[in-house]
Amino acid sequence: MKDQLNRLDQLSRRQFVARTAKTALGVSIVPLAGTSSKVIAAAGGGKAEHCIFFYMAGGMTHMDTFDPKPGTETGGNTKGIPTGVAGVELSEFMPKMAERFNDIAVVRSMTQKTGDHRGGSYWMHTSYQPRATIVHPSMGPWAQKLKGKMHETLPDSVVIGGGGNHPGAGFFGPALSPLPIGDPDKGVQNSRFYEGVDEDLFDKRLELMNTFDDSFRRKFKTDEVTAYTQFYDETLQLMKSEDLDTFDLTKEDNYQEKVNRYGNSRVGKGALLAKRLVSSGVRFVEVVSGGWDMHNDLWNSIQTTGGSLDQALGSLIDDLKAEGLFEKTLIVVGTEFGRTPKINVNGGRDHHPRVFSTMFAGGGISGGQVYGKSDKLGNAVEENPVTPGEFNATIAHALGLDLNEVVYSPSGRPFLVAGHTRDPKTDEIITEHNPIMELFS
Amino acid sequence: MTKSKQWKQITGFILAAVLLVPTLRAEMRTWTSADGKTLEAEFAGTQGAGSSAKVMLKLPDGSMVPYPISKLSEEDRLFVKGNLPDDPSALAAEIDKLVLNKMKESYYGLRDELAALPGNTNMSNADKAKRKEEIEREMQMCIPNEMTDDNQFLRRIYLDVAGRIPTYDEAEAFLNSRSDTKRADLIDELLESEGFVMRMFNYYSDLFRIREGIFMMGNGDLKADPYIEWVKQSIRDDKPYDEMVRDMLTANGQIWEDPASGYLLADSGMRLCNLSNTFTVFMGTEITCAQCHDHPFEEVYQMDFYKMASFMGETETRARGGNSMMMMGGDNYRQEVQRMSKVLKDAGKLRERENEDRQLRQWLGVKSIMVYDDGTNAVRLPHDYKYDDGEPEMEVKPDTYFGDRMNVEEFESPRHAFAEWVSSPGNPRFTINAVNRFWKIAFGLAQIEPVYNIPGHLDGQAQNYELLVFLEEMMKDLDYSVKDFFRVIYNSKAYQREAETMSPSLTQVDKGTYHFPGPILRRMSAEQLWDSLVTLTTPDPEAFTRSGAEEYKEWMHTDTTTLKTADEIMSYKESWRDIGKIRKYNEQYVSRDDYVDGEEMFRASEMRQPMPDSHFLRMFGQSDKQLIENQFTTGSSPQVMALLNGKITNKILTSPDAYLIKEIANGTGSKRDNIEKIFLSVLTRQPTSEEKQVAQSGMRAKRESGMSDQEKMEAEADAIGNVIWALVNTREFLFIQ
Repeated sequence: MKDQLNRLDQLSRRQFVARTAKTALGVSIVPLAGTSSKVIAAAGGGKAEHCIFFYMAGGMTHMDTFDPKPGTETGGNTKGIPTGVAGVELSEFMPKMAERFNDIAVVRSMTQKTGDHRGGSYWMHTSYQPRATIVHPSMGPWAQKLKGKMHETLPDSVVIGGGGNHPGAGFFGPALSPLPIGDPDKGVQNSRFYEGVDEDLFDKRLELMNTFDDSFRRKFKTDEVTAYTQFYDETLQLMKSEDLDTFDLTKEDNYQEKVNRYGNSRVGKGALLAKRLVSSGVRFVEVVSGGWDMHNDLWNSIQTTGGSLDQALGSLIDDLKAEGLFEKTLIVVGTEFGRTPKINVNGGRDHHPRVFSTMFAGGGISGGQVYGKSDKLGNAVEENPVTPGEFNATIAHALGLDLNEVVYSPSGRPFLVAGHTRDPKTDEIITEHNPIMELFS
Repeated sequence: MTKSKQWKQITGFILAAVLLVPTLRAEMRTWTSADGKTLEAEFAGTQGAGSSAKVMLKLPDGSMVPYPISKLSEEDRLFVKGNLPDDPSALAAEIDKLVLNKMKESYYGLRDELAALPGNTNMSNADKAKRKEEIEREMQMCIPNEMTDDNQFLRRIYLDVAGRIPTYDEAEAFLNSRSDTKRADLIDELLESEGFVMRMFNYYSDLFRIREGIFMMGNGDLKADPYIEWVKQSIRDDKPYDEMVRDMLTANGQIWEDPASGYLLADSGMRLCNLSNTFTVFMGTEITCAQCHDHPFEEVYQMDFYKMASFMGETETRARGGNSMMMMGGDNYRQEVQRMSKVLKDAGKLRERENEDRQLRQWLGVKSIMVYDDGTNAVRLPHDYKYDDGEPEMEVKPDTYFGDRMNVEEFESPRHAFAEWVSSPGNPRFTINAVNRFWKIAFGLAQIEPVYNIPGHLDGQAQNYELLVFLEEMMKDLDYSVKDFFRVIYNSKAYQREAETMSPSLTQVDKGTYHFPGPILRRMSAEQLWDSLVTLTTPDPEAFTRSGAEEYKEWMHTDTTTLKTADEIMSYKESWRDIGKIRKYNEQYVSRDDYVDGEEMFRASEMRQPMPDSHFLRMFGQSDKQLIENQFTTGSSPQVMALLNGKITNKILTSPDAYLIKEIANGTGSKRDNIEKIFLSVLTRQPTSEEKQVAQSGMRAKRESGMSDQEKMEAEADAIGNVIWALVNTREFLFIQ
């Protein structure tokens, strides 16, 4: 009911605006001048049909992954390794990325303003700072909103291993929510018969259910009751369909060999499942992986945490290339902030939003480059600062999303995918965050 | 879809109730009208209630004169007020009268329109046919539904008031009672039950966004327990609603000292958002737009927003001072944490992996988080303010843009003036907002939708304007007693009718033409569903409650400098974890033994706020408590999968160890009785004869030769489990009739 009312509210407001525009201005409301897909394509964008977004929860240390400072007072024990590009080194914990440097682009000048995990994560996911009056949608639901659903039966966006604070579909509502998958090995929650239940028993129970429910369903033919009955029908179909196998990692050919290659880790299996989902027609998959909040004993944990990310990314790039999907799939590595160059008394690094690193690959990204620069000690941005809005504008551009398309929240407020705003008086779009055009070929 | 309902059946019902006062009270006195005229008469009772109520005056010549109470002087109104009917049935009868009047009026209007339709030359035949269909549908919804039978009423009143279905024993007790007043008695009983506290808490926690950690961002270690318990206690004590709101807006200090401060702390550091939220929650008014520009469709200017915000401009909700010294024997808490860390480290007890020193720093750090007024207005017009009534970055004086003007000087602080303005009976939206929302709790649809956007002019917007105004007056007359308000509503025939079998169309909702032939059919809220499942696992669903506010206060008051040894510090640390735990009646903490099959089957209000997003409650729409009224009742495949294949329906309710199955297996009833018991427990009704037959065949246990007694019993239990599984999966279970 609530959703219907929200729709209603939005609709009557739009009608109201249209009426006012007609009477007061003597014109009918005209569609806002959007960027056509041709314009986006001409600027090198729109090549990515899919996106796999690795979100490193906790604050990925830039100093020990993509922006090492070996030999300086802040570099710690982390060594640099060559990438094949003169003067560019990655950390020793990213050997596979260094080997494949021609395929990836590193951004070393990310910056935002909050050092708390939830606030930073929210900003990176939505381009907006958190507010207590609205939840902004994350990028997967934005893509679905602006481009429509990609596959008839599979969900458009999936979040693997996400925690409780993911903004999800925000004000777009539950219908556009990413499908959550907790453990990549277990697939969709409750999608299989409970242990001890077989098909015969299941069918027998369904028959009982339908008999008991018959008189109620005949009496109450409200939209909501009908909708639930439809959900039952669709779910029963889904349970019997092959779509469900898409979420079952063990159905992957050479499963064990692949797990060995991607790594028997959350991020490794997450990457493998993401690849499986994307090649079946899911548009946007986010793989969330934690362990980055390294306040203590950083050099003990970076080997496994950094190493498993590197291994997963390496195998993913190789496989997407082999399957011809690399150019159609944008790979992104993001996080809420970096970590302090100063090493604390516990041998760790603390939160550092002033400068940090992210990574892009595939989907029209021109690899072998570093964009932006941090200063010598990794304290601040020295060149080309990139904000969360610009980071998301880059993802949107790669996916061919129109940065100028206005979408209304249920309360009638206008929003745009990467945080552009609209002048309430003139309806003109005010550009706030541009994509990093240098990353596109 | 035809209803056999006819207007004739109920027209005789509309009778005005005259309440006569006992003759003892009757004495001659001088009555004064609002415009100063006087009259000598005896007070002979009141007629009607709310805004249309009249006082019956007996003149010296013995004749009776009804006089509108609203036209009396203030003094006389107060005199009469104590004699206004507070008998819920009398007030309920007034509601019924207004509901029926509106339906009737609308019915005849539609009938006339229908009759005139063929002659209408401005419409095409296709449009006429479409309109005819609409009219006929709406006319059906202008005929009151049948009264609920006892089973329907029982299930609905439990869900609405206690937040869950009745247990088998509770159902039996009500259905077997022969008392004439059993419905009214049950309403009274449930309003006084802990179930009502839990149910209303779920409502408020969605509305106020009550969550663990309270802070939206940043230090997540500020415990919500004092606030949670304060809200529950306010519901339990039936604290007047307006007083509750004032307490929240004027709270001062730390949360364990003044628990109502939780409301303002939820928007810590976001005073403009908090202002918008306060308008939405307590006045049903959406003013967020005006934060950045004049409201595009309503008379709210950006200047209005900042004038309102200035009332709260002196109020700080962030950590006070970076170096606060509080209750620490004069020591700075950071130094104190360092000292404790050192003691632990020296004793070899500082477990690095546990981040013990950081935990202590965070936990003690919340001592500096409080609500206070610092005497300077921090609100300024935005840097890009572009209207000609002010300059960017300018300070503005607090002022209201509707309702009474407030003289800030007369109050302790501008915030107190604001709280008074918000919650006064004179605020044109405060009481309307409350009754509109509470009506929705009972009927599934508000008088004005959406509830967060009540327009300036109500007439023509509400489903039933006269009724809404009546409810507003009634709330004031009941001195904002939430329990009494619901008592009246639930005693009304309008509420006790069968649920509407059709969905009101969006146009009907928009135009305000749904007149409540009965409550609308609703899907249970996530909490109602969860709590109903909990009910099926225990004889006493309210046996486990959460507490910790007292312990928290004590913990925060502890002078840590007295903790000298590592053991003392460690035990102090451990006691933090006992705050906010679930306990049994005997105050013992819940142990793993109390969990049902490893699952926490406790009432939703006693569990984490909100639950993690993969939990059953969240899947079915429990609010994430980030936004006002963020719960939902729309369906999804994951919900259906949880009911088909999840642990609750496949194990907790249906394994041989399940509470309900053991109850039935241990009973002495025949198979036939067992089926009735299951139906009554799950659906609160008896099975039909066909259902009994089908259930019996569904319950036929597998028999194989050579089965042991144990195996036979398990097979029997499995068979009962199938019926329970099937019943919990029906739409009838999921929806509130």
